[in-house]
Amino acid sequence: MASIDSLQLHSLCNLQSPVGRSKLQIPSSLVLFRRRHKNLNWVQVQTNQRFVCKSIVDDESSTPDEETQNTQNDDDNEKEDDVATTQNSNNTPSDSNTSISRFQSMITTITIHSENSISRLRSMITTLPPVTFLMKKSSGNSVWIGISIVATVLLASIRAYAIRKSRDNRPAGSVSDLVRRGQLRSGDRRGISKGMNYEDPFNNPFVKLGKGSSTVEMCGKVYKLAPVTLTEKEQSVHQKRRSRAYQWKRPTVFLKEGDSVPPDVDPDTVRWIPANHPFATTVSDIDQDLAQNNVYQKQGVPFRIRAEHEAMQKKLEALQNEEKLNNLGIDSQNARDFQRPYKFSSKLEEDENVQKSSQENHNDNSSSEETHKS
Amino acid sequence: MASPRVFTTHHRPPLLPSSLSSTPLTSLPRFVKSPNKRTPIQSVLQFNRKPQLAGETPRIVVITSGKGGVGKTTTTANVGLSLARYGFSVVAIDADLGLRNLDLLLGLENRVNYTVVEVLNGDCRLDQALVRDKRWSNFELLCISKPRSKLPMGFGGKALEWLVDALKTRPEGSPDFIIIDCPAGIDAGFITAITPANEAVLVTTPDITALRDADRVTGLLECDGIRDIKMIVNRVRTDMIRGEDMMSVLDVQEMLGLSLLGAIPEDSEVIRSTNRGFPLVLNKPPTLAGLAFEQAAWRLVEQDSMKAVMVEEEPKKRGFFSFFGG
Repeated sequence: MASIDSLQLHSLCNLQSPVGRSKLQIPSSLVLFRRRHKNLNWVQVQTNQRFVCKSIVDDESSTPDEETQNTQNDDDNEKEDDVATTQNSNNTPSDSNTSISRFQSMITTITIHSENSISRLRSMITTLPPVTFLMKKSSGNSVWIGISIVATVLLASIRAYAIRKSRDNRPAGSVSDLVRRGQLRSGDRRGISKGMNYEDPFNNPFVKLGKGSSTVEMCGKVYKLAPVTLTEKEQSVHQKRRSRAYQWKRPTVFLKEGDSVPPDVDPDTVRWIPANHPFATTVSDIDQDLAQNNVYQKQGVPFRIRAEHEAMQKKLEALQNEEKLNNLGIDSQNARDFQRPYKFSSKLEEDENVQKSSQENHNDNSSSEETHKS
Repeated sequence: MASPRVFTTHHRPPLLPSSLSSTPLTSLPRFVKSPNKRTPIQSVLQFNRKPQLAGETPRIVVITSGKGGVGKTTTTANVGLSLARYGFSVVAIDADLGLRNLDLLLGLENRVNYTVVEVLNGDCRLDQALVRDKRWSNFELLCISKPRSKLPMGFGGKALEWLVDALKTRPEGSPDFIIIDCPAGIDAGFITAITPANEAVLVTTPDITALRDADRVTGLLECDGIRDIKMIVNRVRTDMIRGEDMMSVLDVQEMLGLSLLGAIPEDSEVIRSTNRGFPLVLNKPPTLAGLAFEQAAWRLVEQDSMKAVMVEEEPKKRGFFSFFGG
């Protein structure tokens, strides 16, 4: 069955027969193909210089010639479905006739090609041994094949079930689980590492010396070895060369650029440090003896921490002394009375009122007492 | 001063790198399980024998290069941790005043609260400024200064000498190794870093810019009296060496005339481990560069040097079934 599905040709296009793979170029100004589901005959409509082509060859009994005739003699009932509209409506009837005849010949060749290819395919298929025959031939083993397939499926399902079960049984939140989830670093990285027992870096499963000591195998790669030929004499020659080439004394005095060299200093041992050096400075505000003692200190509170602590202690003591002195001058009862209004500012008025009332009461009481006495 | 053991071959075959020998040192304490009961490789490396510590302790080693970006800090971190894993007590000092990075490589950046500057000022004690690595508790980090603080230059060298003295006399005992990560260049920071050192590891890459700087730095170190200088050639690519696009390790040695402590192959894992703050030598499974660092650390302990170097990768022998992917 040939199938040309919705080929809308607006320019010169390649029409490929899916079976024969033969490419044909058809002027797109002529035709527009659309798929037709019902009838599979070629239809040509000549009314109003329009024609319809249906390319699906379903009827095997009909020859290509018959098909073309059918397409010419087909009725106009299917115009609405299968429309191939000529783009150039100004063509003369003779031109259109010639183009139609050319097109018909092309279509014929297509169908012939497709027929040939189909027949070739059929012949090829018939030459192959039938599958059923092969199946019949090995019918004795088919039971075992079936059993093995079933067993494989069964094993796979059991394995999947076991894996799932073991995963479910693994306690969530365990160290291994945390490591697996990336929450925790593995044992090696946390400092809990198991030892690996092998001899030494020169004789282990990853490093093996070859026969005759001319090769060495490291990490699965074999390397050729060459002997080192450097002698002590050559080494001393190099040392002499370097001692001649590089006359150098380790700098011991570091001066800022622009400073003058002190009189008792060898100029070769002076190192000039630029003033804007990013991490070096010539200014030494550290007391050397003190620094040395700090380095040598084995235990106890570090010097500066202790010094800061002592300074703070002294300050605190001074403050406390001052407070004591102040306290000595002021009567605590009076001070409390004096401070009270500041502390309870919201209750000040109430207190005042209470005090006033109490004083009044007191006065009243005293006056009444006086009157009683009198 | 050159180590007397550098060129000795002892009982080992001449071609073999002394440390590539498969026979363990008989005098060393061994706590090896029987080979039949060898447990499978599972975690970070732990070796069954310990390298023989040569020289007086503490060994004060400065790791320097001259040129920047050749791998000084990476070497310090990896060699330092390897030494700690061999069972030695190690203090790594980041002497890069302005641009310290060792704490990042070790993943200890969040734990550096105090530095040497605070110790000098008396804000804290020395033991409070030492950051102990939780992975290997015999490894400690000490930073000289915080990024924005300034240190008086005439003071840096003295301060480091005091620090070394203080570490020697600390109650828990003197460390076996004090490794100083030197800043790039030959500026004030370099002078400060080399002051207390009595041996040096020169890190270089096989390119002419790094080699010129390395030669100059070696000259300065020798002028300063540090004669025990060994070399680590970093970022070696055997494929480029075979194509003669890169100098070989032996070429580098011929140019500088220094004994080889190690040759570290180029490894993409270095960048990953740097970004993770997880030194290469702790990787599992171990990587090529990590193994090379371990070997270098071993030679450093034994004051040994390489007797043979890897020159090129040998094509793998194809088996009978290699055609089928075997």
